[in-house]
Amino acid sequence: MTPDQLFQLSSPLALLGWIALLLSPLAPRAAQVVAAAAIPLLLSLAYAGLVLAFWWEAPGGFGSLAEVQALFTHPQIALAGWLHYLAFDLFVGAWAVRTARAEGIPHWAVIPCLVLTFLFGPAGLLAFAILRFTLTRKVLP
Amino acid sequence: MTATLTAPRVALLSNPNTQLSRLTLFVALAALPLMAAYVLDDRLFQGDNVWLKPLKFHLALTVYTGTLVLFAMLLPEGSFTSRRWRVYFGIVTICILAELLWIGAAAALGTASHFNVTGFWNVLYSLMGLAAVILTSATIAMAPAFWRQRSDPLMQAISLGLALTFLLTVPIAATMANLTGHHVGTPVTGARFPIMGWSMEVGDLRLPHFLATHAMHFVPLAGLTGSRTAVWAAAAGFTALTLWCFARALMGLPPF
Repeated sequence: MTPDQLFQLSSPLALLGWIALLLSPLAPRAAQVVAAAAIPLLLSLAYAGLVLAFWWEAPGGFGSLAEVQALFTHPQIALAGWLHYLAFDLFVGAWAVRTARAEGIPHWAVIPCLVLTFLFGPAGLLAFAILRFTLTRKVLP
Repeated sequence: MTATLTAPRVALLSNPNTQLSRLTLFVALAALPLMAAYVLDDRLFQGDNVWLKPLKFHLALTVYTGTLVLFAMLLPEGSFTSRRWRVYFGIVTICILAELLWIGAAAALGTASHFNVTGFWNVLYSLMGLAAVILTSATIAMAPAFWRQRSDPLMQAISLGLALTFLLTVPIAATMANLTGHHVGTPVTGARFPIMGWSMEVGDLRLPHFLATHAMHFVPLAGLTGSRTAVWAAAAGFTALTLWCFARALMGLPPF
């Protein structure tokens, strides 16, 4: 399978998880099964396969910004990096939905945080942390 | 009492050994990322995808510890749960995981795990030989517990099978490890057994190794007949077959 084919498959898969989270009040348990387990784990499996298969030939490393940039010039490793975003963002999104439900934060207020997490990962996490602190005075899990 | 004695064996199964069944499940699940790598990686090692060998070892060790779990379920509850057994199974677990890590890491780097004579890898190769003997010793270590129940031909067969796995595998594997590769002779046409990959034109020590290691599966089958004669015949016959294939391989000849 070429990296492009895998990329084409991964984005709709992640999107499916985000749709499940948006609609989660309809079926909270099923949404968690899809967005906190099934899809992130499938993406993680593809990630692990890519790293096992291509890490040995990838340029660069973790030591400097230039090395990290060099790392992402390798197509399969760049794809792995993308899958990392998709998997972890979705996992964080599922956590936010779970936490909001447990602490009585209304779902409509979480939706903008989900959109932000989907597009800009950590910015969405920050938005949810602020929302949560304003409503419940909680930061820690 | 009569009801207990004639009850089907299934009713008498004890619970699966916690350590060994966890290990079995873990080794099986840890094969998943290797399968992903197998699909994605185009590199070959000696003509096969580099990930084929680690996958084979995950399968083999899953079958191995899974079989030990099943056998142990035939013995009374708690036969292998004393502190000494738990420490020993802990050591076996470390050896199995080290073995898989070593073979997986060599595959990731596209280098040889067995028969690797370059510096650091050569040192590892010897260490892993020791780990392989320790992990195989679980068979012969567990065999006496089954032997004590030998009034049942199945238990006797399991005990013999387990002991033979260790006694046959160790010398055959050690002989193979001290050569430069698993072949005796140089394959020309590359004709191989389907699936198993043993050479059909020169000696291949992986065949007697395979037979030796599966004594623990073959001999107990004879125990299912309930005939003590069948058990002894199977143990003797299987040992002879294994040694014959071993001798043929050492002579550089295929099994037939």
